[in-house]
Amino acid sequence: MHTRKLTALALFTALALAIYSVENLLPPAVPLPGVKLGLANIITLLVLHLYDARDAALVLLARVLLSSLLFGQAMSLLYSLCGGLLCFAAMTLASRLLHRRFPELTSILGGIFHNIGQLLAALLITAVPGVLVYLPYLLISGIVTGLFTGLCARFALRLLRRLLPSG
Amino acid sequence: MNTLYKRACLLAGGLAALLVICTSALWLRQRGAQSAAYTACIYQNGQLLRSIPLDQVTESYRFTIEADNGGYNIVEVSPAGISIAQADCPDQICVLQGRISDSLLPITCLPHRLVIELKPCAPASTAPSPDAVAY
Repeated sequence: MHTRKLTALALFTALALAIYSVENLLPPAVPLPGVKLGLANIITLLVLHLYDARDAALVLLARVLLSSLLFGQAMSLLYSLCGGLLCFAAMTLASRLLHRRFPELTSILGGIFHNIGQLLAALLITAVPGVLVYLPYLLISGIVTGLFTGLCARFALRLLRRLLPSG
Repeated sequence: MNTLYKRACLLAGGLAALLVICTSALWLRQRGAQSAAYTACIYQNGQLLRSIPLDQVTESYRFTIEADNGGYNIVEVSPAGISIAQADCPDQICVLQGRISDSLLPITCLPHRLVIELKPCAPASTAPSPDAVAY
């Protein structure tokens, strides 16, 4: 890995961590478990579109581990991992199918799968099948927040592609 | 190039359809919700902890549920519904959700593995909650 790329990835990790911690300070806009903006996903999207899936996975993993060290809640780590893994798999697949041209579609898919993963984790943890009624709410929220973070990523990519010749 | 755009349009269309389906499902549920008498079922770790027929509540009262990890939720029961008045979970989502008075959405406190669901009750003369037998 070139020093240039290593530095860029480290910067992205730091940015993701900063965004994540600021978002944690905001009160939840909609009082439903699992509904949040997921702004840190912008960084995952950027790395996924500028570099490749392996690098994005590294940045994501570093962010998740660091944030659970800093703001550690063992419970939320389980949801985050469950949602994060599904989300990342969906986004990797989508960005490959879409030739990295449509970050908003990639992001929406990621949002949907993130929320599905979290709901599955919640189902496992609470063991109450009634929590499945959250599904339509979570799907809508995944689409809306995914569109938002995806558009953020699109505008950031326009600038970054000029600044960071990939590699 | 062409197939790429076709693919993207197909995906966008599918997502739009999903959005419409979810919205109409929610709308239908909202319309279909009849004002019945409800029983509040409180689950912790998947076990039914208490079930409270709300139509038999005459004045509001509170009680505390201890979580396994040392936390607590203070539940407020009133004739109009049930809510979590106070809790020491980090996100406070259960408190912010406020009082529920129908079965549209349960209250969930994930950090404390607590779920409060309202279920339409059967007519008053039924035997003591059959839910307890299943567990």
